[in-house]
Amino acid sequence: MLKHTMLFLGYELRSTLRNPIWPLFGVLQPVLYLLLFAPLLANTGAVGASQAEALEAFTPGVMMMVALFGSLFVGFGMIYELREGYLERLAVSQVWRPAIVLGRTLRDVVQLIVQALLVVGLAALMGMRADPIGLLLMLLLMAVVGMLASGLSYGMALAVRDENGMSQIMQFFAMPLILLTGILLPMSLAPQWMQTVALFNPLYHAVEAGRALFAGDLGDGSIPLAFGLTLVLAVLALTWSVRSMRRLAG
Amino acid sequence: MIVDARGLKKSFKTRARRGQRGHQIVEAVKGIDLTIGEGEIFACLGPNGAGKTTTVRMLATLIEPTEGTATVAGHDVRAEPAKVRRRIGYVGQAGGVDENATGRAGIVLAARIAGMTRHEADKRAAELLAAFSLAEVADRPVRTLSGGQKRRIALAIGLVNEPPLLFLDEPTTGLDPQNRANLWDEVRALRERGTSVLLTTHYLDEADALCDRLAIIDHGLVVAEGTPAELKKQVAGDVVTLRLADGAAGRATDLLGAQEYVKEVRPEDGVLRAYLDDGEHRLPHLLRALEEHGIAIRSIALDRATLDDVFLRHTGRSLRDAA
Ligand SMILES: Nc1ncnc2c1ncn2[C@@H]1O[C@H](COP(=O)(O)OP(=O)(O)O)[C@@H](O)[C@H]1O
Ligand SMILES: [Mg+2]
Repeated sequence: MLKHTMLFLGYELRSTLRNPIWPLFGVLQPVLYLLLFAPLLANTGAVGASQAEALEAFTPGVMMMVALFGSLFVGFGMIYELREGYLERLAVSQVWRPAIVLGRTLRDVVQLIVQALLVVGLAALMGMRADPIGLLLMLLLMAVVGMLASGLSYGMALAVRDENGMSQIMQFFAMPLILLTGILLPMSLAPQWMQTVALFNPLYHAVEAGRALFAGDLGDGSIPLAFGLTLVLAVLALTWSVRSMRRLAG
Repeated sequence: MIVDARGLKKSFKTRARRGQRGHQIVEAVKGIDLTIGEGEIFACLGPNGAGKTTTVRMLATLIEPTEGTATVAGHDVRAEPAKVRRRIGYVGQAGGVDENATGRAGIVLAARIAGMTRHEADKRAAELLAAFSLAEVADRPVRTLSGGQKRRIALAIGLVNEPPLLFLDEPTTGLDPQNRANLWDEVRALRERGTSVLLTTHYLDEADALCDRLAIIDHGLVVAEGTPAELKKQVAGDVVTLRLADGAAGRATDLLGAQEYVKEVRPEDGVLRAYLDDGEHRLPHLLRALEEHGIAIRSIALDRATLDDVFLRHTGRSLRDAA
């Protein structure tokens, strides 16, 4: 079982390495945010005076964006694989079916960690100073959020089985989710009711935890809360997609 | 007996069409019996929507039958799907090859899934790539290959575990004549090695040229089964196709039907088809009879009966017209 998961991880990673342009392209957007938005944020004086402080507040959000958007769209590839009959053929081979999803999810996590390191590296060059242990924990939290997003994406792909339908659903959820996360702007700028709504958004807690981690506040209550919440949700999402894969065709 | 299926049925629930409530039941397969011997090439011939793919999917353990039983390669598809999967290869209608990977990577992955070590898998991949003349394109992404090359990769992947039974769903649909002929040769080579093949097709000539036995499937049922020769013999050895002057069809049908050597007469839009054995010798008699009764002939053709004539006899439609 583990062996098959590792087989798919290796296979998918080799596939990605053969054509690394897309994951690199994927990291471009967060990088642009960092380059363009952080100075903007510093100018508003909303989160602190210096660019370094603004970066410290802003980078965790950008990293969550990497975790989320790097993984949320992976399901589109799976819809294509369904139509090409690739999954159908795998399903009647001797494969342990969950490995098809789990191997891919691990690939997504590896990919987003690499992307995250690129972003952190750039932020460091721009003057951000993060707590090293906090940074490690942050990468772990990103891995969990990535698994959550991948699990959701694969689950949705196997349930909807149609690119159009799937992009409609994602459009619908993405915007409020991002706004209510405080990725772009800290939620402290938002009116009270929005802050209350944000409390029900697990990503909000992940970003809050990220800020605490970068600042070195390792005892902050937002950290266990974020890990707990996202871990439970990631397990649920992965279970959903694995179960859908198990009964791929009734 | 590599396949022994009894009373296979499959119905799908689908969402209702617009304006209707609840859901609809589609009876894709309505009760199919199939037996395929070891080493046989068996074809399921039928028009689109006949239920061929659904039948193959049930036998390959992708979907569970709604009713009926099937033993495939010695194991029950419902009770022991894992054991069935170990002993089959499956090449679906769409091919089922990962387009973004190279052909070699796809074959190696399939081999590893089948339980080979990395070394064995590399060796097996090299073997198959050579056998299917794919060595030169083995390390290119599959999406850059031609249709025929993709099919050969799919075939190689299907054979990776040296299965005693290979399923080929519409293996030559969309291929040009040259690639079709090549694929036929590859299927024949499988027979030489003792691999049993269950293929589906809606091409008459393919079933005729390739298979040892076939089942004609229409609307989810087997309407005829046997060797191509047996089936055609049921109809007759030859068929005379006549185009007559307007209004003469009715009289000609009665006249030809009354000839003792004519087995059957079928009027079909604008032409008359008369089935008979030993057509070369009977044709002059037939012409004379028509002439004696003053029926003018616009054109006439004598052909060997084909599987289409068999299909026509059992379903009342020509396979070419059947949707
Ligand atoms: N998953 C499915 N859901 C609903 N209907 C289906 C499904 N698969 C096949 N059918 C229907 O079952 C019938 C037989 O389909 P199929 O087995 O694909 O035919 P063939 O392969 O002979 O062209 C068709 O009417 C098709 O629309
Ligand atoms: Mg089909």
